[in-house]
Amino acid sequence: MVSLQRTIRSMRRVGVREWWRQLQYICDAKSGTYVGKDQFGNRYFENRNGEEEVPGRHRWVDLAQHDYNATQVPPEWHSWISHIRTEPPSSDAVMQNLTPPWQARYIENLTGTRGAYKPYNTVAPKYNAWEPKVKARA
Amino acid sequence: MSFSRTRLILGLQPRLVFAARAGPALAARRLISTSPCTGAQHHHHHKEPLETLTSKIDERQAHGAHLLPAETDAAGNTLNSYRHGPSALDKAVHLFFFTEIIRGMWIVLENFFRPPYTIMYPFEKGPLSPRFRGEHALRRYPSGEERCIACKLCEAICPAQAITIESEARQDGSRKTTKYDIDMTKCIYCGFCQEACPVDAIVETQNQEFSVENREELLYNKEKLLANGDRAEAEIAANLHSDHVYR
Repeated sequence: MVSLQRTIRSMRRVGVREWWRQLQYICDAKSGTYVGKDQFGNRYFENRNGEEEVPGRHRWVDLAQHDYNATQVPPEWHSWISHIRTEPPSSDAVMQNLTPPWQARYIENLTGTRGAYKPYNTVAPKYNAWEPKVKARA
Repeated sequence: MSFSRTRLILGLQPRLVFAARAGPALAARRLISTSPCTGAQHHHHHKEPLETLTSKIDERQAHGAHLLPAETDAAGNTLNSYRHGPSALDKAVHLFFFTEIIRGMWIVLENFFRPPYTIMYPFEKGPLSPRFRGEHALRRYPSGEERCIACKLCEAICPAQAITIESEARQDGSRKTTKYDIDMTKCIYCGFCQEACPVDAIVETQNQEFSVENREELLYNKEKLLANGDRAEAEIAANLHSDHVYR
């Protein structure tokens, strides 16, 4: 029951199917312009009309996975959705120029799964257990 | 209850005089939230020069200090000091009909029909600064060479002593780290390491979503830090670019 008029307006704009999906995931009906899509299929939207969206809620993501979490957003879009950068990465010249060719594939936070990071030592151990070498008796 | 109510009305009297004449008593009560604090109007009754900075604590604590001073009219008759304030009937109405509670509930009801201010977190996010200090990363040069030269300035300046570095000379003669461990459970995210770094190798990225299920997953080694940098290089470089004028 949050502003019935807003809910109905959003439903008429985005369609019943999308509206139902928003209610299942975002738990709120929103409508705005489509900004882009990242490599994982997450869709990003924006509505900068202050009458329709409270400032601070004007950028949002529709996460592709059902088992969603915040780290499924890649870093380029993370800086857009966190309001760090004005332009989305698809039209941000600075971001595109500074993307190196060796940039690695983004992986979400895999904690709690088998892919979770486990620390290990990157140098040879300084001291080792004694391994006696017994000479053959004469 | 009645005692404290009297004191409140005493302080507000100059405002209430207006309102009581203007309209119903309900309008008068609304002024309470917008009126200045009662302490600011004490000099209204005690007309003394301001340069004598007396504390007046004795007067305020004296018996009967909450009562208004006795007023007399031109003929010398004592007047009722409370004649301009709300009547006892008005006060009783507000007390017994819970008008304050109802006005408070009305504010709740108003906000029920307004668009919500709550940011629905994983889908919408609050604003972050390009200088935000989150998870650490080790960066590379655009050529792909790792930046860290193992000067150990970050290890030296780290107030929490969370960084451990060991280094060796590589075959081409350049000094590189063999071990670069950050204990993220010790780290206080002060950002001294990235300020100390002469080659912008260790940075704190804008990623704050690196929560883990086991404590040991927060003991980062060099490979993990380099992997963080390799994934987020575009974001890190763009943030440094947007801030470079102020550095």
